[in-house]
Amino acid sequence: MKSQLGSLAVAAGFAASVVGIAVLGVGLRRRDTRLLRLGGRFVPIVLVAALAAAGVMEWALVTHDFSLRYVAENGSRTTPLLYTVAGLWAALEGSILLWGLILSVHLTLLWAKHRRRIDDPLVGWAMLVGLAVAVFFFGLMLGPANPFHSLHGAVPADGRGPNPLLQNHPLMAVHPPMLYLGYVGFTVPFAFAIAALVTGRVGEGWLAETRRTTLLAWGFLTAGIVLGAWWSYEVLGWGGYFAWDPVENASLLPWLTATAFLHSLMVQERRGMLRVWNLSLLVATFSLTILGTFLTRSGVVASVHAFTRSSIGPALLGFLAVVSVVGVGLIAWRADRLASPSQISSPVSRDAAFLANNVVFGGLAFVVLLGTTFPLLAEAITGDQLSVGEPYFERMSAPLGIALLFLMAVAPNLPWRAAGRDVLRRRLARPAWFAAGTMLVLALAGATGVAQLAAFGLAAFALAAVVTQITTAVRARRHASVPRMGVVRAAVRTFTGNRRLYGGLVVHVGVVLVAVALAASQGYSTKREVSLARGESATVRGYRVTYLGTTARRTPQKTRIAATIDVHRGGARVATLRPALSIFPGATSAIGTPSVHTSPVRDVYLTLVSSPNEAGRITVGVFVNPMVMWLWLGGAVMVGGAVFAAWPDRRRARTRGPAAVGTPPAPAAPDRVLEGAPA
Amino acid sequence: MRGLRRARTLVPVLVCVVAIGALLVGGLSRNVVYFRTVSEAVSSRPSDGSGRLRVAGAVVPGSVVSSGGETSFELTDGAATVRVHHHGDPPELFEDGAPVVSEGHWLGSEFDSDRLMIKHGSEYEPPAVTQGAAK
Repeated sequence: MKSQLGSLAVAAGFAASVVGIAVLGVGLRRRDTRLLRLGGRFVPIVLVAALAAAGVMEWALVTHDFSLRYVAENGSRTTPLLYTVAGLWAALEGSILLWGLILSVHLTLLWAKHRRRIDDPLVGWAMLVGLAVAVFFFGLMLGPANPFHSLHGAVPADGRGPNPLLQNHPLMAVHPPMLYLGYVGFTVPFAFAIAALVTGRVGEGWLAETRRTTLLAWGFLTAGIVLGAWWSYEVLGWGGYFAWDPVENASLLPWLTATAFLHSLMVQERRGMLRVWNLSLLVATFSLTILGTFLTRSGVVASVHAFTRSSIGPALLGFLAVVSVVGVGLIAWRADRLASPSQISSPVSRDAAFLANNVVFGGLAFVVLLGTTFPLLAEAITGDQLSVGEPYFERMSAPLGIALLFLMAVAPNLPWRAAGRDVLRRRLARPAWFAAGTMLVLALAGATGVAQLAAFGLAAFALAAVVTQITTAVRARRHASVPRMGVVRAAVRTFTGNRRLYGGLVVHVGVVLVAVALAASQGYSTKREVSLARGESATVRGYRVTYLGTTARRTPQKTRIAATIDVHRGGARVATLRPALSIFPGATSAIGTPSVHTSPVRDVYLTLVSSPNEAGRITVGVFVNPMVMWLWLGGAVMVGGAVFAAWPDRRRARTRGPAAVGTPPAPAAPDRVLEGAPA
Repeated sequence: MRGLRRARTLVPVLVCVVAIGALLVGGLSRNVVYFRTVSEAVSSRPSDGSGRLRVAGAVVPGSVVSSGGETSFELTDGAATVRVHHHGDPPELFEDGAPVVSEGHWLGSEFDSDRLMIKHGSEYEPPAVTQGAAK
């Protein structure tokens, strides 16, 4: 019965999307407001259908209705409730259902915001494009990725349960939905970009409509990527957080182009430049989300020849081709209107820095895209199976990352159009000295590696520049107020007065933390495998690990072998860690669960490589990873900054108008006065 | 004048693009790791030289010798067999007949491995897991 109910809901969503597109299309052609209003009303119907479908699926999962094939394959009676609910995104069909659900939420929010303006062709077309994407995903659920197939033959007493890796850590319940919220969110700006091209209104209007959605989608995607890295670190037990494997790269790629877009859209708003580029970035971002879905969900990564076994791969690839061709074709068709009214006037200006930022982000995206797809292309062409090693990604991305860090440190302090020498000196001299000092101190303290030192120096530069920028603005505001307001009040006023600027700077602080964490943990981590008998110890980088014993626990879900290991440093006990190995019935591999002692300076990360052998010895992987904690904190700060920037202004602030957007802070008051001011 | 101004923006962009392109080709060609079955690996040994590759096969029963953090075993795909020297202890579930992927390079007629993975059978497996098993 649930199979029919679910299929009915999916079919209703599909039909509502198709009818909505038809009504909107006719309405746009006839410029008939009533038809457009009617067409728009199909959007919430699509949402209701998607909610119903997802609801039926969750109902089936929670009640263990194994007559549904998806439930039989991804649920089991022994799976804890959390992972049973998360079973919705444990496999292909459910993920597509989640895609469709989130897409209809985004579209409904779009409709709710703009429904009074639906006679505006830009809004009408954007809605139509959004529904067209919905048609594709609901179509997938009707055809090759039907989540509501019933099982042929007798209903089994129990299901197979989700992949062991997906039921090992609560992060699995959060990370995929975050990623999907980000991925799918880019449909809205993409729809507006296409609408702008179709209607020929390629000026700056469509940017303003989608700014907030783009920012939120970016925030969700950032959160998704960081949570994914965290999950990888806490669950996979190889001591790292990002292995450059295609699944991870798939989430990074649209993030890179979206980040580029968030910067270059400011150039377009401000100077009307980079129109073609911005439209291309949005088309690229959306295409990359489809490519990412294709890479992760079609089995193509395992082998090029695997993906044709189901029709989902070709369908996604076909959709990707349609999106790219339509996007590029429309941009070419509108080329005459896309000419920019102004030009970049000086290589030392904020405009030029944004352009450079975009070139580097574009280059980085290309590097990752090439490394990710090269094995697929090579296998398709020559038949050789190969993989691109991590050194390629690391060596290629490190210099580009450092270049981005440099731009991030300098660019927010550059004025638009052209920078005079004295402006540069006034704004950048102190951060530059701070950076040089930081590098000197670190080098004297024994920090090695050119890339690491460059990263630390630039991070210090960026941090100092942001702090200078904020303190200058807060002080200027205090001085301008009569009677003089307190520091906290002035800071709050400054921040809320220009959410985009200060939200952006907060994001930059997050990036600084992430950069420091990446440089330190990539450059200075230690890993060793030690073989220990009970009571034996080994010392790795000052940490003495002592093997105390093993416990085995058998549950219906899994057999879990955990080693108890004491960690001491300089005579003092640091922690007792219990790395474990889980063996799931029906799985061919053992899943390791690392045990991590986290501290601000460094993590001690233990994995159980093999359980006691005949001689009673275990093998333990010991990793000492510096500063990894700052990666998660930096990610949280980045997301916080994005949310702050996207938060709706109060009416009072809104009347300040677009001129306040992205403006550098008021020129600094003379330093003497500032230093004399009471703190 | 306009042309000159345009050149001033275009030239740095072009230089960046060319530099990135050159870096990419170099980086990619140095870091490709081929994936071969034992017999493929044996037949392409002359051309692979000392480049990195992954070799897939099954552990020949009774061939495993493990001592002092080094593991030596024979790997076969039915058609060809090679001896693998692995630096490190074997991962959990490494046993006679286990399906194994070994990463390393040729050292004479033997394979020098620094990364040992158990080949997984289940459907959806991020590659990081297989790397994890070895580290």
